Amino acid sequence: MNERRILLKAEHLSKNYGSRTVVNQVRLQVHEGEILAVIGPNGAGKSTTIEMLLGLRRPDHGNITYWRQDYLSRIGVQLQATSFFPSLSCIENLRLFAAFYKTKLDIEKGRALLSLCGLQDAAATEASRLSGGQQKRLAIAIATVHNPELIFLDEPTSALDPRNRLEIHTVIRKLAEAGTAVVFTSHDMEEVQKLADRVTMISSGSIIAAGVPEELCEQYDVSHMNELYLKLTSKEVAVACI
Amino acid sequence: MYMTIFRSMIVTSLRDRISLFYSILFPTALLIGLGLYFNSPEYRFNLLTGTVLLSMLFWSVQGTAFQVYQQRSRGVYKLLKVTPLSNLSFILNVTLARTVLGLIINGIILAIGMIAYGVSIPLTNLVILGFMLTLGTLCFTAMGFFVTNLASNEAQINMFSNLIYIPMLFGSEIFYSLHYAPQWIKTAGNLFPLTYLVQGVRVSVTDIGGVLPYIGSVTAFTVGLVFLAVLTFRFDGDQALLFRKYRKV
Repeated sequence: MNERRILLKAEHLSKNYGSRTVVNQVRLQVHEGEILAVIGPNGAGKSTTIEMLLGLRRPDHGNITYWRQDYLSRIGVQLQATSFFPSLSCIENLRLFAAFYKTKLDIEKGRALLSLCGLQDAAATEASRLSGGQQKRLAIAIATVHNPELIFLDEPTSALDPRNRLEIHTVIRKLAEAGTAVVFTSHDMEEVQKLADRVTMISSGSIIAAGVPEELCEQYDVSHMNELYLKLTSKEVAVACI
Repeated sequence: MYMTIFRSMIVTSLRDRISLFYSILFPTALLIGLGLYFNSPEYRFNLLTGTVLLSMLFWSVQGTAFQVYQQRSRGVYKLLKVTPLSNLSFILNVTLARTVLGLIINGIILAIGMIAYGVSIPLTNLVILGFMLTLGTLCFTAMGFFVTNLASNEAQINMFSNLIYIPMLFGSEIFYSLHYAPQWIKTAGNLFPLTYLVQGVRVSVTDIGGVLPYIGSVTAFTVGLVFLAVLTFRFDGDQALLFRKYRKV
């Protein structure tokens, strides 16, 4: 994995809100073609970390290096809110976002992309009329409309039924097989175990574990990511249960 | 690329059926209804210009406010920050598309009124009138952006719009003369652009020579409102009104 090109390198990232430290000395790297899962309890600092990586929030300390200067044209983003134009159809949304990335999308390519995301029958449907799962898939299609080399997916399967989750897992795998690096956040450890090449676990703003899922399980003497998650975040889980 | 964005914004605006109702059907019904009731030619002229401006208000202030709010709450502006396209380019496209459609709507209502009541406007005056209406649309679109920036939810858009609409409508001569109104109402009306726009639109039809002061006043309001809209613009609903600091994590 380490022989692959590094697309993103973040070092000593920290963010404070008043006296509260929400991200503390976070370091991570993303290599081309890999799937990296960023996991942790609610409020652990995952989304803030991702937003700092994307330049949406300014870190108080640390630095972020991308593999190229014009990286904005080569990354795709799916935020937690499904960001698209509800009154436009799926294909119209794809065309519009392609224009945002300064590329042109012909009908054939648009249909192929919708097909990849399981939306081939919804090309002419207004985005507001799509189901929750379809909206998530449209958001992923939008994030990949310009063939990015690196894609960020913030909780791509949250609040979806098992079938829709499975379909999104397939999309993520296909993207990685095509050479796109994927960084995703999730609370579903089954999903993480199934998809991720590497995992970064954040708790209370700091990285508490990082590595290949199987190696981490071995290191902490657990059989599954679920157990590892519970073991390393037991304090937060107990607090959440109260 | 910009053509695709412009065309998409036109489609988005055209699919906003509520704004279209308030900008075309409601003013047209008002124009026909009141015009049948008051059959003086002078009042019908004032009614026609007043209705055009009322349509402009609905389209440019509330229509823009709801559209921009929807885009902001959907995370579109946030997502735009991670694309090569600047938010400014996108906002200019939205404004341009809404201005073009707004002028077409104004043209439709004006044409209906001119045909229905036999009002004729010479071509030179129509050009000046078009300029005045363009300026007014830009001014009220900036006001629409400002209203969205103030509002934290959709209900607040109506609340803030009404706060502006009520003194503007009652303090201007959009539908009736303020000749016998108390001075404080006239003074309140002078604090809003609609008063100057109403007078400017009417003068541009009747006396082109007197239109310059109104163009100056509406331009000054437009510049001020654009400044306010830019100063308070929020990419994300979580940001504070000024300086765009995040209010929560």
